[in-house]
Amino acid sequence: MFDKFREWYENRHEYAKDWKEKTGGKVVGYICTYIPEEILYAANVLPVRILGGHEPESIGLAEPYLFGMYCPFCRDCLAQGLQGKYAYLDGIVIGQSCIHIRQTFFSWRQRIPHEFDHYIPMPMNVVTPRASIPFLRKELEIFKSALERWLEKEITDDDLRRGIEIVNKNRRLMKKVYNLRREPNPKLTGLEAMYMVVSSQLTDKNEHSDAIEEMFNNGLATRDLGRESSIRLMTVGSENDDVEFTKMVEETLGATIVIEDHCTGSRYFWEEVKLDEKDPLTAIAERYVTRTPCPQRDWEPERIRFRRILDLIEEFGVQGVLLIQQKFCDPHELDIPALRDLLNEKGIKNYFLEFDVTVPVGQFRIRVEAFLETFASDELFAEDIV
Amino acid sequence: MATEKKEYWRWHEYNWHDPDIDWRDAEIITAGVDVGSVSSQAVILVDGKIYACANMRTGHSSPESARKVANWALEGTGMRIEDIHYVVGTGYGRVKVPFANRAITEIACHARGAVEIYGNSVRTVLDMGGQDLKVIRCDERGKVLNFLMNEKCAAGTGRGMEVMADLLGVPIGEVGPRSLQVDEEPPPVSNTCVLFAKSEALGLLREGWPTEKVLAAFCRAMTDRVYALLEELGVQRDLAITGGIAKNVGIVKRLERKLGFEALKTEKDPQLAGAWGAALFAKVLYQKERAQKRQAC
Repeated sequence: MFDKFREWYENRHEYAKDWKEKTGGKVVGYICTYIPEEILYAANVLPVRILGGHEPESIGLAEPYLFGMYCPFCRDCLAQGLQGKYAYLDGIVIGQSCIHIRQTFFSWRQRIPHEFDHYIPMPMNVVTPRASIPFLRKELEIFKSALERWLEKEITDDDLRRGIEIVNKNRRLMKKVYNLRREPNPKLTGLEAMYMVVSSQLTDKNEHSDAIEEMFNNGLATRDLGRESSIRLMTVGSENDDVEFTKMVEETLGATIVIEDHCTGSRYFWEEVKLDEKDPLTAIAERYVTRTPCPQRDWEPERIRFRRILDLIEEFGVQGVLLIQQKFCDPHELDIPALRDLLNEKGIKNYFLEFDVTVPVGQFRIRVEAFLETFASDELFAEDIV
Repeated sequence: MATEKKEYWRWHEYNWHDPDIDWRDAEIITAGVDVGSVSSQAVILVDGKIYACANMRTGHSSPESARKVANWALEGTGMRIEDIHYVVGTGYGRVKVPFANRAITEIACHARGAVEIYGNSVRTVLDMGGQDLKVIRCDERGKVLNFLMNEKCAAGTGRGMEVMADLLGVPIGEVGPRSLQVDEEPPPVSNTCVLFAKSEALGLLREGWPTEKVLAAFCRAMTDRVYALLEELGVQRDLAITGGIAKNVGIVKRLERKLGFEALKTEKDPQLAGAWGAALFAKVLYQKERAQKRQAC
């Protein structure tokens, strides 16, 4: 049922190239999810997320441009660009992000040919929305003008409203699918959810939304995966589209990832733009300032994300949490000790794993398997044998 | 004249069985086979009591190592693998034990085995294996409550110790005692990487350090690494040490010094903990399976 999303995920470059050919439109790449896709949709530009290729042999290409202690994800992204895999991109955009991803953007801008680039200075400490929203609104206006100059075309408020609706509809539908993960017998696996969300970052959302609607028409809500007795896990942390790891957890070890907090998961789409009667740019700015934050912009006085993680654990019936951190990912590295303390305090079992371009599946399997064994009933100890 | 190269890393491999037990009278025979990255063990229980065991180096093939170690344990007993009612495989090669009825992680098995070997006061198990370190918190039955493992690197593990024994030409059994023969504890070598530690040790030898002092610097570095992992999970007493390095007094003594208390002691082989725990689980699983079959009849 989710095959379409898997195909899009696996053939992302072919999809974007076909889209260009079919529509004659422009494609813009982005690295971090803090970019207003609504404005790009308003301009009929296709935003696609630049992701790593999980190929250890190619990451060395980024070596001269990115410090070895920057996260493997940002190095992998740049390596993809340096290999020419994203040669079809007409431009690149970034919303101010962590220093590692920023460096990928700057190196990309310098080394890889493109027509258009733009850096949106997203406010960092978003827990002060009163000041951040007007600031970001102005920056979005500058971004819109830059796009208009590049495309030689005006982007009207009506265009913006249309862009908002396209992206909002897709968010709404993905959330509807996510609600099916709350059930005692989840209607989809974590891997399927990952394919769906990541492919939403790689394809035209109109087409993506149609594909979700088609799944509902084909009986997604009544599907039976027979996973009612599997252990319900949540994954939390850095960018994660590691198919091999997820397969190992769900297919080999039989657990089910029922929810996650990653920018390749719920954090990407959870909140909609609330347009109401507002000026569209203000509404968009409000959404990005108040969305579930990435840890690089979630500080004092209280980490918003932590409260949300606890809520998700309750709502999705999570039994255990896998904390996933890309090696050297500073924002998450800073967050995880505090998050671990909080989870321990609440009695929620958790286990930490450090990810790289590829994960050592054998070593991780022992850890996850042993973690899952701690949930098992006392079957190995029962003294009630007749 | 060709001289045979001495293998200093080679630790004592053995098999044993209890001649006073007649397994033919037994109701339940179970086995645990622990195929680790460096060593493999088999423990055979007869009605829950240890009857035979073997401990040997793991070969290049997990299924072959499993079969070899089990057969070696059974040598001279008249028992065949087919006579065992239930086998649990554990260790890195746990899913590759061809005659196992089930695979259980070595984390669960070491905790269970540690309680069997050291008694039910164990709350923290430190397993220092061939290529990884595990700190396990368990309850009085040996059920895992929480655990931590070292990250990808093998520093501070048995394999690192073997490399050092070979480099310094000290038989592995003497590494611990000789590392304690220093007047003053030297600073530790690099504790992050076996290869770095090796080149650092070479440098120290070149500087004229006596072998004992280099061993002390290496054991100290390993201890620091192990201690950091223990601290991360938090040590609850009593502490039991399992795995091959539990036999190295150079590490154990230094660790006890840092912790400020002694780890539990045993006359049994702590390297058998994983296989022993697996064999005990096998017994429970077999009894359950049998009870279910009876109910179904």
